[in-house]
Amino acid sequence: MSILANKDTRVVIQGGQAGVNAARRMAEFCYLIKKPLNVEAFVYPPDAGKTNEIPYGSGLLAIPIYKTIAEATTHHPQINTSLVYIGADRAMKGGMEALDNTHINVVSMITEGVPEKDAKLLGVHARKLGKVFNGPSSIGVISAGACRLGVIGGAFDNLVISKLYREGSFGVITKSGGLSNEIIWICSQFADGITTAIGIGGDAYPGTDYVSYLDMFENDPQTKAVVIVGEMGGDLEERAAEWYGAKKRRVKLIAVVSGFCQESLPKGMKFGHAGAKEGMKGEGSARSKSDALKKAGALVPPTFGALGPAIKEAYQELLKTGQVKEVVEPAVLPRLPKSVEEAMKSDEVMVAPLIRTTISDDRGDEPCYDGYPASELINKGYEIPHVIGLLWDKRLISKQEAEIIKRIMMLSADHGPCVSGAYATILAACAGIGLSQSVAAGMIMIGPRFGGAVTDAGRFFKYAVENKMSVDEFLAYMKKNHGPVPGIGHRVKSLRNPDKRVKELVGYVKSLNIKTPCLDFALEVEKITSVKKDNLILNVDGTMAAVLVDIGFPVDSLNGFFILSRTIGLIGHWVDQKRQDSRLIRLFDFLVNYAAPKRREVPPLK
Amino acid sequence: MAKVLEGPGMGLMKKWGINVPDYVVVTSVDELTKLGQANEWLKTSKLVVKAHEALGSRFKLGLVKVNLDFNGAEAATKDMIGRQVGSITVTQVIVSEMIPHQEEYYCAVQSTREGSEILVAHCGGIEVESNWDRVKRLTLDVGRSPSAEGLKKLAKDAGFTGPMAEKMAEFAGKMFACFDNEDAQYLEVNPVVTRERDGELVALDAVTLLDGDAKFRHPDWNFAFAAEFGRAYSKHEMDVMAVDAKIKGSVKFIEIPGGDTAMLPAGGGASVYYSDAVVARGGKLANYAEYSGDPPDWAVEVLTEKVCSLPGIKNIVVGGAIANFTDVEKTFGGIINGFRKAKSEGKLNGVKIWVRRGGPREKEGLDAMRALKDEGFDIHVFDRNTPLTDIVDKALQQN
Repeated sequence: MSILANKDTRVVIQGGQAGVNAARRMAEFCYLIKKPLNVEAFVYPPDAGKTNEIPYGSGLLAIPIYKTIAEATTHHPQINTSLVYIGADRAMKGGMEALDNTHINVVSMITEGVPEKDAKLLGVHARKLGKVFNGPSSIGVISAGACRLGVIGGAFDNLVISKLYREGSFGVITKSGGLSNEIIWICSQFADGITTAIGIGGDAYPGTDYVSYLDMFENDPQTKAVVIVGEMGGDLEERAAEWYGAKKRRVKLIAVVSGFCQESLPKGMKFGHAGAKEGMKGEGSARSKSDALKKAGALVPPTFGALGPAIKEAYQELLKTGQVKEVVEPAVLPRLPKSVEEAMKSDEVMVAPLIRTTISDDRGDEPCYDGYPASELINKGYEIPHVIGLLWDKRLISKQEAEIIKRIMMLSADHGPCVSGAYATILAACAGIGLSQSVAAGMIMIGPRFGGAVTDAGRFFKYAVENKMSVDEFLAYMKKNHGPVPGIGHRVKSLRNPDKRVKELVGYVKSLNIKTPCLDFALEVEKITSVKKDNLILNVDGTMAAVLVDIGFPVDSLNGFFILSRTIGLIGHWVDQKRQDSRLIRLFDFLVNYAAPKRREVPPLK
Repeated sequence: MAKVLEGPGMGLMKKWGINVPDYVVVTSVDELTKLGQANEWLKTSKLVVKAHEALGSRFKLGLVKVNLDFNGAEAATKDMIGRQVGSITVTQVIVSEMIPHQEEYYCAVQSTREGSEILVAHCGGIEVESNWDRVKRLTLDVGRSPSAEGLKKLAKDAGFTGPMAEKMAEFAGKMFACFDNEDAQYLEVNPVVTRERDGELVALDAVTLLDGDAKFRHPDWNFAFAAEFGRAYSKHEMDVMAVDAKIKGSVKFIEIPGGDTAMLPAGGGASVYYSDAVVARGGKLANYAEYSGDPPDWAVEVLTEKVCSLPGIKNIVVGGAIANFTDVEKTFGGIINGFRKAKSEGKLNGVKIWVRRGGPREKEGLDAMRALKDEGFDIHVFDRNTPLTDIVDKALQQN
């Protein structure tokens, strides 16, 4: 048996994420004791109509979220208990809503920092209705083998080693959440474990005090002894002592009280929970409480450390008198399925990776590019081209190579609004499309006819140089197998109207003392083709391609230099249109050659 | 519980219709001089000057001066501001009108489990302390207000008669209104006096304790809460309070000068048992600290740095019960960072560290603590199998 929470307890949780976390812990307990999840519903207006996913074993349960308690209990009339995880400023309203619902008999409030007046009003209202209001600041309630309300009991492993899967003989009432777990564990190590453990919260005026629960324990035949962990302040421990001393009780009472340190501290210095404060006239001290409990006949060990042996003594006594029997533990207990991550950590499973990367890793405190931490690269003077070298070609390029890349990027960052890419981005921007989609529209234009010839140009120039072809052989090879030479030819530029960008880049690279076999070859090709037709010049794509191959970049990365550089321009065009708040563009009729058939009659459908 | 200094306390009483003396709170003589030009009463009344700080025994310290004229008040202000009392520097004084009176009475409202109690006595000042049986009470359930008859009966029971009974009943009613509407936990006026000028009851002094948790519904609480232990908060304490105000969960820190056993335990319940164990063993606490409710690791790191900075410490007790949901590995991560930082700053020389903890990811957390040995820390780590406060016994046996 147990008190307050049992196998028939069905729960609604009021609140958001904290409530979901609690439900997950509750599901772990339900799984351990092989019972279905006891959480029926959530009440959280912002997410009403959705569900919360709660892991149970290796599966996931979808628990509905409602706007009000009334809705929850209409759909789940078996609900009889509410856990309140609402913020302190709205906790009273939520608590009252639960208390006023006819289905609900127990409301336990986890919220901390609830104003005292609100807590008192909730307590008084519950007593008037004959219901239980537990908390605020309660860690929860757990009945071994039957029901868990809240996170009390801790992690799954702790539930198992504290033997919470089956009932023992000790009741526990604490103000402190952390100590509730400690006592549960002590009861499982020094005795046969607990029946029910209740956190009443550390506030000055908890909704339900020790005495109410002592009464319930007294009437629960399974509970043979009750452990109280008290604190200085208030008079709850004195009331418990009074209850115990009033008449012969069936249950043994074991109690400790904290706060003796106050005797040797500066007056008025307050520690611990909100309720832990000495009265104006010195009442409610740890000593007066401890004395009152002793006088009433409770077993009061001198320190917290002596609590274990005291519980053991009480248990031995119960064994001797035959009030309890030795417990035989079940041979096999359910084990909580591990997550893949946990299982990998303990070397229990091997998972075949889905993808493989060889360039970067950000699992530490900062990204590493090909193994080099980004901050260290910055601090040692490396720049964007070096990062490109690391991520595109897995090597630290030289200062000179970085300078070439920088110049290529500066020269190809933009080419005015009329080229396909920029025009597409501007069209999209004027249609009110967002940045990434508009830039993507421009990006889509990059291909064989616009900006996308760098890779192919590099591939063929490289092929020619590696195979020691003459220009004539190369042109013949291209004509036979591929068609026009990528990187040669321009829509508007020609011998008479040269592309300054090409001149600039070629001039710079030639001024360096480096070998440029591809560039040299490309310039030779231009000499022949431009004679045939004066716009068959080496264009900027071809120049970039030849230079980049010469400094060792892999052919497949070459289009990347244009894409990356031009992205700067495309973003610029989008921002520019946005800044001007440009209107939607529509093509004028006079810019279209309407070559479609003239208007005619539609024949009848056959 | 949050203590409020006299000035804002009287402000709240005035808001609920209780007569209080005219008063101003100033931080310099200049300010008082200017206020003197603007307020007639400062020039025409006899004045009282009191240090406006969270200090006990102000009379004995010479920080209350009475029966002054304006020049006297200026001199007293000049004398008090900047005075150093222990760790507190007097930065404000309250200058109030002296109320000539004959009789002194007592009125208070205090919180009880069921609601509140109104206390009234026909004596006041120090007389009431020695005549506690003369204090009469009216008990009220939460949500109820006292009736006019109930208040009158209370005043009469306390020994007030005739029109004075009416006046005291009205005064007590206003005190209750202030208590109830301002989420107070304790209001005390001692003494309540009869003003000779008009025969009205006036509150000469105010002890005001408010429920800090209710601050969210009192936008006009524009004053800072005062420390409750007779001294101002230290810089380190205020640093930790500032962190506490920002985070989920909580961190707390109070310095106790002269101690040599530093505390860094988890949980509002366990931390007091740890402190008890130190005192029971004859040790001297250097501080109180606590972290709870799964606070972020950086907040625990800040707390750890403060603990490591305490002067003259020999032991640090990193205790804790078996946590419900506080991640032991993560919070210990914050503590470990704090320890490393302190060590790199030359702190923690000869300091022994004692650890005991359980809870989610306890093995990982305790292993990380144990590994600090290799970095040269004098650290002793125990798991849940060592009873809660045994590390305190071990630590203090060493000395």
